[in-house]
Amino acid sequence: MKQVAVFGYNRLSIEVINRLDKQQYQMIVIDHVAEHIQLAEENGFQVANIDFRIDDDLRSVGIGSSIDTLFCFFEEDSENVFLTLSARALDKNLNIIAIVETPESAEKLRVAGANKIIDPYEICGRKIHDILKRPDITNIFDHTVFGRDDLNLAEVVIPEKSYLANTYVSQLQLNTQYNLILIGIVNKQVSEQLNFVVEDGDRRLNVGDILVILGPSREIRAFKKEVENEFSKN
Amino acid sequence: MLTKLIVYAAYYLKSSETYKNSKLFFYNLLENPSSKSKPYFDMFMTGLIVLSIFFLLYDVEYEASAMGGYIEQAILVVFACEYLLRFWICSDTHIIILEEHEKSQYLNIEFSFYKALKKAIAKKFEYVFSPFAIIDLLAILPSYRPLRILRVFLVFRLFKLFRYSSSVKLFSDILASKRFELLTLMMFTGFLIFIASVSVYVFEYPEPESKIKSLFDAVYWAVVTLATVGYGDIIPHTVGGRLVTILLILTSLGILSFFTSILIAAFNEKMPVLRENRVYSELERYKSFIIICGYGRVGQEVARQLSNDGQKFIVIDKKALNVELAKRDGYLSIQNDASKNEVLLSAGICRGASAILCVTGDDVTNVYVTLTSRNLNKNIRIISRTNRHDNVSKLYQAGADHVIRPFEIAGLLAAEFLGQPVAFEAISGILQNQADIVMETVLVSEGSCLDNQPISKLELSDKKLSLIGVISANPIHFKHKNKYQVKQQHFYFNPEPKFILRNEDILVILGRKYGIDYFRDQIEKHRLLARKVL
Repeated sequence: MKQVAVFGYNRLSIEVINRLDKQQYQMIVIDHVAEHIQLAEENGFQVANIDFRIDDDLRSVGIGSSIDTLFCFFEEDSENVFLTLSARALDKNLNIIAIVETPESAEKLRVAGANKIIDPYEICGRKIHDILKRPDITNIFDHTVFGRDDLNLAEVVIPEKSYLANTYVSQLQLNTQYNLILIGIVNKQVSEQLNFVVEDGDRRLNVGDILVILGPSREIRAFKKEVENEFSKN
Repeated sequence: MLTKLIVYAAYYLKSSETYKNSKLFFYNLLENPSSKSKPYFDMFMTGLIVLSIFFLLYDVEYEASAMGGYIEQAILVVFACEYLLRFWICSDTHIIILEEHEKSQYLNIEFSFYKALKKAIAKKFEYVFSPFAIIDLLAILPSYRPLRILRVFLVFRLFKLFRYSSSVKLFSDILASKRFELLTLMMFTGFLIFIASVSVYVFEYPEPESKIKSLFDAVYWAVVTLATVGYGDIIPHTVGGRLVTILLILTSLGILSFFTSILIAAFNEKMPVLRENRVYSELERYKSFIIICGYGRVGQEVARQLSNDGQKFIVIDKKALNVELAKRDGYLSIQNDASKNEVLLSAGICRGASAILCVTGDDVTNVYVTLTSRNLNKNIRIISRTNRHDNVSKLYQAGADHVIRPFEIAGLLAAEFLGQPVAFEAISGILQNQADIVMETVLVSEGSCLDNQPISKLELSDKKLSLIGVISANPIHFKHKNKYQVKQQHFYFNPEPKFILRNEDILVILGRKYGIDYFRDQIEKHRLLARKVL
């Protein structure tokens, strides 16, 4: 189970927490405003009222030890930058996701060491633009991948000893065998860049490659199970 | 008998298409401010006026040339024609007569032709005595030989120029808006001139050296002094006269500065309206545009993206700061309240706007603007933003087509990023057109090479494209699996190779931008070729 620390209890963090699977992630809500903490506690979350400016307090909730992911959702950009800096100093491998209010703070957060920066207004603006320009595709994705309908995006890592290692992409036949569409492959040894299947043509799969697939969750689960098999089913 | 004939003629004119069309043509040419031909006509007339003034000035110094005389005559004919045409189109005499006739028939009283004629003539006279018509007439008359004395009135042709430019109208409007202040000032000035000229006359007239020989001289002196011009041709010689001068000069300074300040204030008040009108008239040239209400962070982002696409749009915001920002970014913008009907109407919500975005930070404003827009235009696309979950249903109820919650989308993104960062980066890159690979739709149109074809025939993988699915409202596809209801349509994910495409289906394709464009091109070419064969 992954440990997630959510700093700041507000509209955005409520959205995120509701979307995360409680079985997979253990969450702790952290805030320095007593009312927020009280509200979060009433809603049944594990909470901690600490001062994020003090490193010892951060350590006390598990940053630098047990926490894997940190959400910086404070409403002030300066607070988020400070928290990102302190947390990055405590743990080099921490996954830090931060929110920005003004665009010029994005660069500061990046320098401070955030892995992912989210600008809600920018995303919202893009979304409106998408609705205007490409209503069909936006509609589909809203209903399926981002919505209630069961069509999901997933990434599957090819484990060691998997039967898929050293096979070719063309042999996968995901769309006929599993009703899945393979969108691309990330070759971790080379770069983080996603190689689109349509672009690259045929290539051999290596251990550690990540397959990005789209499909119903049942099919995804079936495929994941299959991938972990040591032997080819043939 | 004559009355009957005239009524008959009036009916004939009313039913005549040629008469109506020719009248409309001249109306468009001369009067209609929004017609296309009027600006050209105005330019032509301005040229003629300048030319005729040139000849007038030439004649003052040199002998009149024969050639110049002919041109002068020709110009005069044009002016006269213009005057007569304007006289003709200013009112519809036959309609007035017919109205009177019908009224008398309805009331069952005898039709009095003279009464109707009087009414029609009164209408025409109304035009003749309008300031512009008088100027027009004065510009023509002096050329008539027996009236040569009136030659000086040829300068009236210059006044004619005002007719053809809108800036003078603007200036007079501005002056008219400060009528009360100007009138007060004028009365005060008149009073002052009267007092000053009378007292200087009383003091100076008996003095033998003084040049003030009449009351008119005194008034002339007072005006010259009041205007701070002070030629110095008439100067006071008595102590009393000099005292009057001192007082007059001190007061006139106040009057002049007061006058200037009134003008400046009037211009300043009018400026925003003028700017707004400029924005609206620019907007009128666009056939399709988008109205963005609210230029906060979301509005700015949308505006940036739309301007990258070359899409036209207008920004409406209540806050001066935001409007200033939009102007600096080079976008059309007006500072006004978008929840007012007239603001949205003059922004063209019923004319050329294809969509309206309510993206202010305030939910109440967004709901109100949405409701107003839906009321004004039933078919426009409305996309609204809200910050709170509870308001989503209210916005849909108010008539929004789409409701966006910034924090919901951001939350979703954050949650997805946590779970599967690689996949999510990829898909959001594709969806936001950041990657080389894009996802686009291709429509199956009737008679195209895609119509009635199974998907296996498309050979998409050879074209380096991959098919994600098909959107269709056609019930014929219902038996296929993996269908997802999306509004009134269905989305068929990963369709089987034997899936047969029908007219109006939409393919959702992933691939390089130019790959998809090429695919579309080929379909289009094929369709054109097929049509030629037919």
